[in-house]
Amino acid sequence: MSRHKLVKNLDLDEVLDDYDGGLDEDVDEELAPEDREHLRRGTEEVRQTLGADFNTSNREIEDTLYYYYYDVPKTVNYLLSKWSIQRYFRAPLTWKDQKANTGSKKSKKKATEPKADGKAQTAARKKENRKSQNEETATSSGSLLESLAAGSTKTHHPGPASIAKSQEAEGLGRSSKKQAKGQPYQESQGRPTPASSRPALGEGSEESAVSQLGDLKIQPAPTGSPSGFATAILGLEKNRPCFSRTPAVPGMPFTIQNVANSKAFTGPSPDDVVLKAQSSSKGAKPAPKKSEKNAEEESEHLNGHLKTLSIGDENAKPKSKLLNVTAEHAKAKLKKSANFVVIGHVDAGKSTLMGRLLHDLQSVDQRTIDKYRKESGRLGKASFALAWVLDQGTEERERGVTIDIANFQFETETTKFTILDAPGHQDFVPNMIAGASQADFAILVIDASTGGFESGLKGQTKEHALLVRSMGVQRVIVAINKLDAVQWSQDRFDEISQQILAFLTTAGFMPKNLAFVPCSGLAGGNVVHKATDSLASWYTGEPLLSLLEDYEPTERAIEKPLRLTTDDVFRGGVQNSLSVSGRLDAGTLQTGESLLIAPVSHTATIKGIEVNAEPFDWAVAGQNVILHLADVDPKHLRPGDVLCSPSSPIQSIKSFAVKLLAFEHIMPMHCEVHRGRTHAPGKIAKLTALLDKGSGARLKGKKPRLIQPGSVAEVLVEMEEAQPLETGNRVILREGGVTIGAGLIK
Amino acid sequence: MNQSQPLLKTGLTPSASGSAYLEIKREHPSDTTSGGLSPRPSGLKLTCAVHGPRPLPRSAPFSPQLLLSTKVKFTPFANGHQRGFMPDSDERDLAAHLETALKGTLLAERWPKSGVDVVITVLEGEEGSPSSSSNGSCDHLTLLSSCITVASAAIADAGIDCVDVATGGVAAIVLGASGRSQLILDPCPSDHQSVGRACVVAYLQARDEVTEVWAKQEGEPPGADGSEHSDFLSLVDGAVEAAKAARLVLMDTLKESVEAKLRRD
Repeated sequence: MSRHKLVKNLDLDEVLDDYDGGLDEDVDEELAPEDREHLRRGTEEVRQTLGADFNTSNREIEDTLYYYYYDVPKTVNYLLSKWSIQRYFRAPLTWKDQKANTGSKKSKKKATEPKADGKAQTAARKKENRKSQNEETATSSGSLLESLAAGSTKTHHPGPASIAKSQEAEGLGRSSKKQAKGQPYQESQGRPTPASSRPALGEGSEESAVSQLGDLKIQPAPTGSPSGFATAILGLEKNRPCFSRTPAVPGMPFTIQNVANSKAFTGPSPDDVVLKAQSSSKGAKPAPKKSEKNAEEESEHLNGHLKTLSIGDENAKPKSKLLNVTAEHAKAKLKKSANFVVIGHVDAGKSTLMGRLLHDLQSVDQRTIDKYRKESGRLGKASFALAWVLDQGTEERERGVTIDIANFQFETETTKFTILDAPGHQDFVPNMIAGASQADFAILVIDASTGGFESGLKGQTKEHALLVRSMGVQRVIVAINKLDAVQWSQDRFDEISQQILAFLTTAGFMPKNLAFVPCSGLAGGNVVHKATDSLASWYTGEPLLSLLEDYEPTERAIEKPLRLTTDDVFRGGVQNSLSVSGRLDAGTLQTGESLLIAPVSHTATIKGIEVNAEPFDWAVAGQNVILHLADVDPKHLRPGDVLCSPSSPIQSIKSFAVKLLAFEHIMPMHCEVHRGRTHAPGKIAKLTALLDKGSGARLKGKKPRLIQPGSVAEVLVEMEEAQPLETGNRVILREGGVTIGAGLIK
Repeated sequence: MNQSQPLLKTGLTPSASGSAYLEIKREHPSDTTSGGLSPRPSGLKLTCAVHGPRPLPRSAPFSPQLLLSTKVKFTPFANGHQRGFMPDSDERDLAAHLETALKGTLLAERWPKSGVDVVITVLEGEEGSPSSSSNGSCDHLTLLSSCITVASAAIADAGIDCVDVATGGVAAIVLGASGRSQLILDPCPSDHQSVGRACVVAYLQARDEVTEVWAKQEGEPPGADGSEHSDFLSLVDGAVEAAKAARLVLMDTLKESVEAKLRRD
């Protein structure tokens, strides 16, 4: 079979029937026979519904039916509404004719409006995609049906305005239908309307409303002319008298001289007028005045009462007694007071030793100790009972280690002591530094049990000793603990003492400031009383407590300006909303004095002072005090802030030189700078010089690039943020959890 | 004698996503000469700002559709008497009714997890004439109808998807000079001595839907004394007619604003 034959036999209609994307305008728009049948039946139905006297052509009905895809009720609705519009217009024109006459896009949209109906859309979809070039000619020349058939997709998305208008028309049709049914609601429109009714529709007669609707295409909707206000705020172009005037002051366009208002203030103000009118309208007589004499008497009476009144103002400014604190201090002849820090390797028995000390001194009653015994026994840590006296935190008790500095006061016949129990674990060295910074001397507790001493020497024993030395502690009592575990062996004691003595002397302690005592915290030998064990009889020295009492108080910096590093900020009871505790580093203070808080530079007033839990009027350097403050917001105070006298405030500095004892290799590096309770990030910026250990003189030679452990050097430290530091402050430098050096600010 | 055509403009507030301004001027020839201290409001001035659709705050619970919040605020100088800054019951009432009216128009499910705020500021409000005692209800109804129209304009200006724009219309039955009651559309509160009944609707013409009806009656019901307007439906129908008229203005404004936008682009 040849190719020609195949083409000849091809049924073109069949092939093109499903094709609806090409340029096939020439395809005949003849309707299929079944469609014709549909149309015919539909037309009959519509005719029946509308009644015989409804004047419309068959063609029109068919067109409409085609729009609505043979939906008879919709067609009837449409025709009815159109009919009513025609009646309104009283013009022979039909919609279609109007549209044909104008031929404009607008009317086209209107004509195709019924297609907004979904069904019609689907019906016409087949033709939609055809090229829309011919649409104009089709619309203007052919019937509605034809124009639809060639309709474009464009017409499916009429603008809102056209929707509105056609709907306007439809709406009107609806209402007219109603009228035809005899609903009497239109009366107001028919009647001469009241003067105020606003829009045209409500206002005019039926005719005017309709004509307005009819003119919609050409005329804009009735809008009012803008008021002066609207003109101003909307920035409309015309009628802008207020801006066209020449400004009264050059460069200040809004200061327009308004002649009309220039005398606005000559008369009484509107308020005055209103008040006057009100008072006169009420007609109320002014209240009869009391005689002058009466009033005077009354006021005197009241004044008398007022004088008797007094308010216990909690915030009243506390008055200073203006004491000469130095003289008072000399006069007072107080007991000696001493703060000591207990240091040593973790598990050396520091807390237990102190617990034993307090227990034997009866600073803690037996009942409490028994309670701790029971509770610790339940946890399987019966040996920790004494340590619990100082380790109050639940976590500390559960883990059996001290975490934060514990503060405890006790008193002997001669001295008031403050124990600062430092944590031994290497993770809590910062806390230990905080404790050591408040101490006058130290107790170095060493574990004498087999292996305990050796591990301690490798661990924190040395670090702590070096740290307290760097913090300025001169005197150390070495308590060689747990000797009962090695049967009070004198050899062991001697061995340990020799090693420690050697180490401490190299660290810079004077041998005369060192004392060694064999003791047992758990069993209680040589702590307060001499050991009763016969094995310990070789020790003829004094027990630990006596060594503590031997302490000679060092000279306090009483004459220097006030410095107090806060240790804690808290609410000290009901009366005192803000209290701080800390050690008075230098100077004196008394109630009523005002303080300056560094680094925030706020002032506060001292409301009250407590020394050793007793109220005092004054305090001197070296005492651990609690200050109740007034006139300050708690948010300004943080632990570690320095309180100083406003007359000689401490300076906040960002960089300073430090005479440093290196514990590790030191290079220019980042570090944490610890001072007392606080620490702040900083960096070692420059290694200035190496110093001689003994004399402190600069060693000759090049600038060092590295500082060896154990050597003394001068370095420049730069802080990220300014800190209240001054010459003579002792700082510790740590990096990555390791103490790298300790020193004195130059 | 008292021609009062509304002026409606969009795009007044630059910071809002959509905004509109509506004013209806009224002339009071008798009042202007009296030289009172504060001139009576010479009409109605409203601004409407539409903010959104914008994401709901994180704290708000999940909402599958657009949350509409409306607020009507009288300026302290809007009426003859001074108002405070706290929203009073009138303002809350109007806002609630406005919300119902607008809720029916929005295609809220297209904007999940979003909110839109419609804020109407009454710069100048109408008040019944001082001589008439009981026009309070009519004031609010006419104001609400204007609020609905101006809010629709602003929402359309903001480009928020709607099924149709709502317009407000009021119809009222007033006691005419002849002693007969009359049905009038869009009454001016200050012109009528006594407004017997009034009704406001929000009407969507494209769907022939009413999203909000609020009717009020003052005094005794007229009873069956042959009054032609006793039917509530006639009031509603009248209000719908008024809303249709307002729609002409609204459509014209929207067309204008769209044209302006196209010109700008």
